[in-house]
Amino acid sequence: MNAFAYATAHSPGSARELVANRGLYLAGGNDLLGLLKDYLLPAPQILVNIKSLPGLNRIERGEKLWSIGALVTVAELERDAEVARVFPGLRDAASEIASPQIRNVATVGGNLAQHSRCWYFRQRDVPCLKKGGDLCYARHGDNRYHSLFTGNDCISPVVSSLGTMFAALDARAIVLRDGKEMPMSMAQFYEKAFTEPTAHNSLAPGDLILRVELPATRRRSVYVQVSDKHTFDWALVSCAAAAEVEDGKLKSPRVALGSLSPVPHQVEAANEFLDGKAPDEAVVAQAADMILKGAQPLEHNAYKIPLAHALIRRALRKLGGEA
Amino acid sequence: MPSWPTETRYLSHPVPRVDAAAKVTGQARYSSDIQAEGWLYGMILRSKWPAAKILSINLEPALKIPGIRAAVKVREGEFTVRFYGEELAAVAGTTKQACLDALHAIEVQAEPRHEFVVHEDDAKKDDAPQVWDGVPNVSRPRTTERGNVDAAFGECAAVIEGFYTTPVQIHHPMETHGHTIFWTDDGLTAWSSTQGISSVRDSLAGALGLEHSRVRVITDFMGGGFGAKFNCGVEGILAAKLSRAAKAPVRLMLTRFEQALAVGNRPSSFQKIKMGATADGTLHAFEGENYGTAGIGAGAATAGGGGGADIPMPYLYRVPNVRVKQWEVAINAGSARAFRAPGNPPASFGMECAMDDLAVKLGMDPLEFRLKNDPVDIRRREFQIGAEKFGWKEKYRKPGTSPGPVKIGVGCAGAAWPAGGPSRNTHGEAQINPDGSVEFRLGVQDIGTGTKTVIAVVAAELLGLKPEQITVHVGDTNFPPGPGSGGSTTCASVSPTVYDLCQKALQQLQTQTGVADARGENWFAACKKLGVTPLVVHGNWIEGLSTRPAYGVQFAEVAVDTETGLVTVRKVVAVHDCGLIIDTLTLESQINGGIIMGMGYALYEERVMDDLSGVVLNPNFETYKLPGIADVPDIEIVLLNMPERGVIGIGEPATVPTAGAIANAVANALGVRVGSLPITPAKVLAALGKVPAPAASPT
Repeated sequence: MNAFAYATAHSPGSARELVANRGLYLAGGNDLLGLLKDYLLPAPQILVNIKSLPGLNRIERGEKLWSIGALVTVAELERDAEVARVFPGLRDAASEIASPQIRNVATVGGNLAQHSRCWYFRQRDVPCLKKGGDLCYARHGDNRYHSLFTGNDCISPVVSSLGTMFAALDARAIVLRDGKEMPMSMAQFYEKAFTEPTAHNSLAPGDLILRVELPATRRRSVYVQVSDKHTFDWALVSCAAAAEVEDGKLKSPRVALGSLSPVPHQVEAANEFLDGKAPDEAVVAQAADMILKGAQPLEHNAYKIPLAHALIRRALRKLGGEA
Repeated sequence: MPSWPTETRYLSHPVPRVDAAAKVTGQARYSSDIQAEGWLYGMILRSKWPAAKILSINLEPALKIPGIRAAVKVREGEFTVRFYGEELAAVAGTTKQACLDALHAIEVQAEPRHEFVVHEDDAKKDDAPQVWDGVPNVSRPRTTERGNVDAAFGECAAVIEGFYTTPVQIHHPMETHGHTIFWTDDGLTAWSSTQGISSVRDSLAGALGLEHSRVRVITDFMGGGFGAKFNCGVEGILAAKLSRAAKAPVRLMLTRFEQALAVGNRPSSFQKIKMGATADGTLHAFEGENYGTAGIGAGAATAGGGGGADIPMPYLYRVPNVRVKQWEVAINAGSARAFRAPGNPPASFGMECAMDDLAVKLGMDPLEFRLKNDPVDIRRREFQIGAEKFGWKEKYRKPGTSPGPVKIGVGCAGAAWPAGGPSRNTHGEAQINPDGSVEFRLGVQDIGTGTKTVIAVVAAELLGLKPEQITVHVGDTNFPPGPGSGGSTTCASVSPTVYDLCQKALQQLQTQTGVADARGENWFAACKKLGVTPLVVHGNWIEGLSTRPAYGVQFAEVAVDTETGLVTVRKVVAVHDCGLIIDTLTLESQINGGIIMGMGYALYEERVMDDLSGVVLNPNFETYKLPGIADVPDIEIVLLNMPERGVIGIGEPATVPTAGAIANAVANALGVRVGSLPITPAKVLAALGKVPAPAASPT
């Protein structure tokens, strides 16, 4: 990698100041160091270690609202008994991420902000669109892991398991921008990647994720994914769902899918359709149809349509209480 | 005629590896751990073009980087590169970072060639770019024929036609390829991660113009090799040249990224099989066409088999009328090399799939169909034993009839490994010290398969000692020479050699000390009588204690989720023979490893090349997928011990039938054939007809 300066920040303000317009924040480092070693980023002048920022490694459990610090590790989410009780889907999403070693150091903020895993983007010698080149090689090449939906020429999908689950839980990432705390829904957090090929998310240079706030109102949540392998593999498709359930009927349901689009794929009409309904086979199949309507499969990724359809049905059935 | 003892204390028993403690505590120093005094890092600059003419390479800027001590080119003048990742130059320096900076600083003038081809089906088109100028990409077909195939198909009651394909599998041993090399005026020492210390010595000496006697190769501990680690490789020559230039030892171990590009792979196969049987289930006619790619080359021929794309067809089963046509397709990708049972896993996959497809068409139980057509007594017995253990009768049901969305299926397949016999050129020496301690020195190498333990077990048995009382030295060309570890030959080579050494030592002890039988409890008293001079005997491989071939069968049970396409292997029963079993523990390890590797081949592994850029898209373990522990099924191993046959190797047959057995189990679960490895969720869903057509192709 290229040479850089290194500093440890002790407050969000000083972290922001140190990063200025020439540096990057370093937390778990799983993604950042890999990107730097593969020379996939413009060389930062400074890496600012944010792991010592006070308070960002805490989970605060409110009656109505939980707050999960950006530095909480994925392993802590996976192991926390209260998370498992209140947000079982979040626990499951955390447990599917990478390997135990990686989960031990990976942070919530890093999982949300991680860059594309597209194998063209990650290939150091391919000047793809996401790296500022002229061409999305995946569109013309091997796109088995790529998006069915996108608003630009790049078809790299979002792969953050937490981002997908947080979308279904209506969570907000609280981001420090220009000295102010800015709440961003998951849709907002990724929307720039939907429209701009070089964007991985909507963060601007210097933005610092402080925490994620999530309403504790939806007491049922589910996360399912299928990968080529059984563990330590990226999802081919993931599906998160959350709702209240009363008399077997879903209330305020939210469904979000990962690995299908540069953003967690959500269809508001499907959420509305499901609201107040019992998730029986016919209902969940219809919801899945609505969610996948308009999919644009390419040469190698059309299998994601039946796969996503199955996962949506399973997630919703499970949400309704089916084992 | 010598023979193995029938009553044994260690032979054919479970004996822990003699170096197990050293390995699990980190005391064992692998080739990649060697830190020779004053050593430097070495790194290679590789082509970022899949095809180009290299006009010039300027190393000067690299030599200016602080910490860089040497830089060398692969060759002088203009030359052509034919695949992404081909070696251009190398640097040596005091830190990794200095080397990385130096690689970036090297100036390469090149004319990239925009015409190249990385997929087999594109390369065989008439207007395809030629990988080698003036040489067609498609080799001249090789045809073999016996009987009257065309007439025979007319006599069949059932005929199937299938297309079965296997991908290029990349060599990914845990320890990557590489060496630490120190080359001075006195000679060259290489600490190598190799399967053949002698072949590395000879190839280094040859490439550098040195006498063999001036080159010493050491391999104390080695992190795995499956056919691609016999010669020094380009990386070895570069490390030597860097060492010469820098006057320091250079450690040049490849990265995982490089491993995916340039150190060899198993060729792909595209097998069109037409096969027919008579009404009673007797195979009658076989017609097979196969092509595959060995990358830019036909594959370096190495001990353990060549790296070419031909496969043995129709493999295991007796067919009277056979026509086989095979050819090879060159593409702009790294060359093939021998890979654990070269040719056999793809051959097994194709033939075993065809066997099941034909059995289904005949309405026969696939196991019965095999028993009827397998010409080998041992393997038929193994099929029967395996079926019993596995519960085949209870588990087998008609294809696709398992209820529910998650369907259960079973399948089986057989193995053959025609090699696995001994190398007659195996030498060794034993030194018996007056204090009773014993040293064995053999110029072979333990590549992780337990060769040191095999030597200790055989010696302990024959001398009446314990394995831990035997000190084993291997992995040094200063010792009497032995064969490379390829073709599953090492065990059958060293065991008779150690037998010979033990007989000679006991004889000599008797002559020198007068102790009639120095074994066991007499040992120390006898040795003491040697006085102050150790007894040294030389020995070599002798006839009558080893043989070949080995067979084997495997049964697999899978669960396939028909909604998501995910395949879960639930159970594998493996029945294997390898003559006299030396150590059941290391043997079971070999079989476990073979099954897990075969499982990777069946479900996960595949080199993915990109048409537009010509790069390998999955040069890492993130996207080149290997089985993890959660993917590995319950494995049950049944061993047939046949001391009367002598010692045979097991490394290769253990991996041969796994993919075929799993693929057949998947087909049995689904009721449709997924004829293409790896069997991914995407392919399962496609085989079930669930995948819609893609939208209009991009412009």
